[in-house]
Amino acid sequence: MAAHEILAATNAVVTLDVGLPGTVWPWLVTVNMWAKSIGTGVIFMLFLLLRMHPESGNKLRLQTSIVAFIFINIFLLFTLADLHQPFRFWHILVHPSFSSAIAWGTFMASAFLGLLTLLVLVAWRARTKEECNVNYDKILLWTTILAIPVTLYTAALMSQCTARELWQMPAESAQMILAALLAGSSAMILLGGSKLSYEAKKTLGVVLGLSALMSFIIYMSEYIFGPGKAEEIAFTLEYIKGDGPYTVMFWLGQWITYLLPMLLVVLSRNSKSESILKLASILALVGLFLVKHVWLNIPQLLPMS
Amino acid sequence: MQLGFLVDLHLCMGCKGCEIACKVENEVPLSTWRLRVKYVDVGTFPETKRTFTPLRCNHCENAPCERICPVSALHYLDNGIVNIDKERCIGCAGCVMACPYGAIYIDPQTQTADKCTYCAHRIASSMMPACVVACPVQANIFGDLDDATSNISKYIQTNQGNIQVRKPEKGTNPHHYYVGGGNVSLNPLASFRPEGHDLFGKITAKMPVGGH
Repeated sequence: MAAHEILAATNAVVTLDVGLPGTVWPWLVTVNMWAKSIGTGVIFMLFLLLRMHPESGNKLRLQTSIVAFIFINIFLLFTLADLHQPFRFWHILVHPSFSSAIAWGTFMASAFLGLLTLLVLVAWRARTKEECNVNYDKILLWTTILAIPVTLYTAALMSQCTARELWQMPAESAQMILAALLAGSSAMILLGGSKLSYEAKKTLGVVLGLSALMSFIIYMSEYIFGPGKAEEIAFTLEYIKGDGPYTVMFWLGQWITYLLPMLLVVLSRNSKSESILKLASILALVGLFLVKHVWLNIPQLLPMS
Repeated sequence: MQLGFLVDLHLCMGCKGCEIACKVENEVPLSTWRLRVKYVDVGTFPETKRTFTPLRCNHCENAPCERICPVSALHYLDNGIVNIDKERCIGCAGCVMACPYGAIYIDPQTQTADKCTYCAHRIASSMMPACVVACPVQANIFGDLDDATSNISKYIQTNQGNIQVRKPEKGTNPHHYYVGGGNVSLNPLASFRPEGHDLFGKITAKMPVGGH
């Protein structure tokens, strides 16, 4: 049942209540998710390149490790900044509750950062001692494996938010992985530049285009069929429909992150234009922030009591 | 022992005495509420009715807030109360997001999560929660759900078939019950919320977020 039909059926009005709390998880959490998508995504893409296009991947070990290291640090910094008591963060290490995705995420992200640090050091050493690349690739395998749960834990955390039905599994976990693939391929296209062969760029373009397509399909499925699943979803989606407060941002995000990059990827393949592929990458990275921000905010606007 | 709450909505007259008693007892800061009474008007003039619904933490058996808390700041007491250790809380607001009842807020003074604890400190001294004492019509009934002779157990037995909990579909198994409740009083999405008609709406808009 649509939201307006529910309200019409009850003919009830809240006449005395306290104000709604507003957004509790602000833009800092959006930055957290956006940076994590890039940090884990470039690791996925380096792993892919080393297997499919080793001639290109070989030249990008150090740069990719540094980019992943920086973005995972941004992710951790913004996670910390979002806490109301940031100086008590160490409580998670000494009083962890393993029923919480936050606790799991803390330990996994810390281990991931440790591995990334190791990758940077080994890649740096490999500049003068090439045999270090063998060790690098061994560490990269474990880093890539760990990148999967690090990417997914935010989805687990969001799914623990009972009654925020828009954040439920398994759609969120699919969206998180797709966001990492989208951000990772985009960042790698921009990072690789002339070091990437045409074939490697084509592969990254395919990853970018397909992850954009899959994400868009999931968002549209929620948008169209979500209201039939739960009352909460029907009410939440009202914020991005009609003249809702997030309608413009939602559609801007969908166009910039998914639709335009998809079209540009196809265009770049036909015209063999690297500039168009780079434009698609920039749009996808910028738009991902908007998409994540809308999806983070709208369930928070829903009255819970 | 499993402590629980029951509110008889037939008796509640919306005096908000419980709200004030809670505020005073627990020194709840301005702009935040552990307990509040929501007014909902139903119908079209002259066929109208006003409902009053006290809202507080439901002390769920399967509490999402306890599960999401990364440091066990939210924890169960032996008597079933979902308590909070504010010294341990890191202020991640995961519990605020996880609670399907909007019963947890970030205390603007301590910057930690806070909520109704069924006045656990008073219970420890064999006293009733402040809101129970303040209620002039005994609409708030508190006691041990495991004890068949307790007031709350008797009330539940007497009113079988007319006992409700909020959002039972969420599987949280609340230990907070209502008698005489309905969709309008217990479902936050069943009522229209016109902007500007909230009490303190304009004040709380400028306050730190996290209040409920």
